[in-house]
Amino acid sequence: MKKLSLVSLLVFLVVMAILPHLLDTRWQTVAVTFLVFSVVALSQDIVLGKAGMFNMGQAMFFGMGAYVTAILNSHFGWPIVATVPVAIVAPVLLGIVLAAPIVHLRGDYLLVVTIGFNIVFVQVLINNLGGVTGGPNGIFGIDPLRLFGFELSSQVAIYYYAFAVLLLTLAIMINLDKSKVGRALHYLREDPLAAESIGINTRLYKIFAFGLGAGIAGLAGSVFATQYSAVSPEAFEFIQSVLFFSIVLVGGSSIPGVLIGVFVMFVLPEIFREFSTWRFFVFGFAMILTMILRPRGIWPATFGKIPKFLIKEPKNGG
Amino acid sequence: METFLQQLANGLTIGSMFALVALGYTMVYGVMRLINFAHGDMVAASAFVGLTVYTQVMGQASSLFAVIAIFMLTAGLMACVGVILERVAYRPLRTAPRLSAVVSALGASLVIQNGIMLIWGPRMRIFPELVPQHYWHFGGVVISLIQVLILVISLVLMVALYLFIEKTRIGAAVRASSIDQDAARLMGINVNNIIALIFVIGSSLGAIGGLFIGLYYRGITFNMGWQYGLYAFIAAILGGIGNIPGAMLGGMLLGLFSAFISGYVSSTWADAFTFMLLIFILIVRPTGLLGERVAEKV
Repeated sequence: MKKLSLVSLLVFLVVMAILPHLLDTRWQTVAVTFLVFSVVALSQDIVLGKAGMFNMGQAMFFGMGAYVTAILNSHFGWPIVATVPVAIVAPVLLGIVLAAPIVHLRGDYLLVVTIGFNIVFVQVLINNLGGVTGGPNGIFGIDPLRLFGFELSSQVAIYYYAFAVLLLTLAIMINLDKSKVGRALHYLREDPLAAESIGINTRLYKIFAFGLGAGIAGLAGSVFATQYSAVSPEAFEFIQSVLFFSIVLVGGSSIPGVLIGVFVMFVLPEIFREFSTWRFFVFGFAMILTMILRPRGIWPATFGKIPKFLIKEPKNGG
Repeated sequence: METFLQQLANGLTIGSMFALVALGYTMVYGVMRLINFAHGDMVAASAFVGLTVYTQVMGQASSLFAVIAIFMLTAGLMACVGVILERVAYRPLRTAPRLSAVVSALGASLVIQNGIMLIWGPRMRIFPELVPQHYWHFGGVVISLIQVLILVISLVLMVALYLFIEKTRIGAAVRASSIDQDAARLMGINVNNIIALIFVIGSSLGAIGGLFIGLYYRGITFNMGWQYGLYAFIAAILGGIGNIPGAMLGGMLLGLFSAFISGYVSSTWADAFTFMLLIFILIVRPTGLLGERVAEKV
């Protein structure tokens, strides 16, 4: 089993590494967005799948990363490389500040509050608070990434940049699963009360999950801004958060699951673009059907080496 | 003072529409512990169904009888859609993890929203003028016949629902199912029928809300469901989700709040203020204004 997952990971990496050379320009753009969305979906998985918090506002952190890069580059003339650390740190801080008062809320309430955050965030962007966000049109003409004297402006170059970010995220996710933090998050999702009573600081770990998720999403946002060299509020609307939320749940809270989720929820609609009016109609049915047939997602998470007979299927809710 | 009275009238009108839609959310949540994300799209769909009933079935008649018939037919049709929605998308998932049902609800929302687009097209449609344009002027305050009708009909429906839930045997069964489904089943209550009933009531009230939205705002679009749905959902939380009088109170308060914000502060920030109010309420008093203290920690 372990061998199989290692082989499939290698195959995936090799395929992804040569992919951009097999595609035309339009599909290269789709491929880059696939990578960026995968990173955001993995960050959503940390909060929703690993820590079990119903977060429907991940697009806000994604958008914040994108806007930090855009604002620092176009208004203050920072090179893109210099904006990347800020695009990670700022969402982390925002995530911690916003999460601290709300992480104790139960499932559905948390979901609604995060929707609220996302909508307030987009309204702030549209109303051009502080005169730096560019209002409803957003910000255009962001510089390409310059690294060691090379200018990464072609889609292929950006593809490898996004791919590197995805690899970094995958490394974080794999290490998270094996670490103390990962075990704490897993325990806290399964039974918060039991986790608390054996001395896990649930509040701290919940805020940590939010912060980590926000930072990764912010990095993805920065890549997104350089890919299109523009940002606008509608790319970070709350409906986008709904997409990331559905990706994790349809795919299942595991690395292959999340990647399958992004493929199913983002790449497939692109493939069926010519059936534009029908595709989301069919998609809705597909979402319902997937949940009925596989309530835990297409490729559900497994954790540790717990024998099958010890895993109790939750009867009601999870 | 004039602004105040005018916004009071507007706030009560939109508040009663929010309240009608919020009842659908709160009743479903009360029994099934599920946010029915498709409810807002059902509301949007009912405005379009009303439009078609008016042009195709009623032959564009707008006599009093015809208007009542349009409301009854639309509410009946949407009640059927609600029952089908529950059978297809929610019943198979009743024992599944909570989040699976949420995704199923999001899927159902996509289906209904894009279904509207496939049937009626992506462009904005104009809802017919079913109620004559009649205005009363009190000093500088203008109140229209539509506003009065919306307020009065909504209040009558809400009082009727309240009496039904509190005073009848079936109402008692609904309350019992929302407290504990398993215990209710042991007492001989057919919980499946109760859930179907909830969808009938919620969808038909939502349909009337949708028709009111069409009458009041006139322009209807296929994707307006999310916007009104979210507002109504906030209203339900404001009053305490699962609590029927709470949804009515929450709807009215939210309507007044957003009317006063657009009247006194700025309409471009109305959404932001509304959601900040929501976040504030949830942090300070997560069970809402009328929500009972539940044993479950929130």
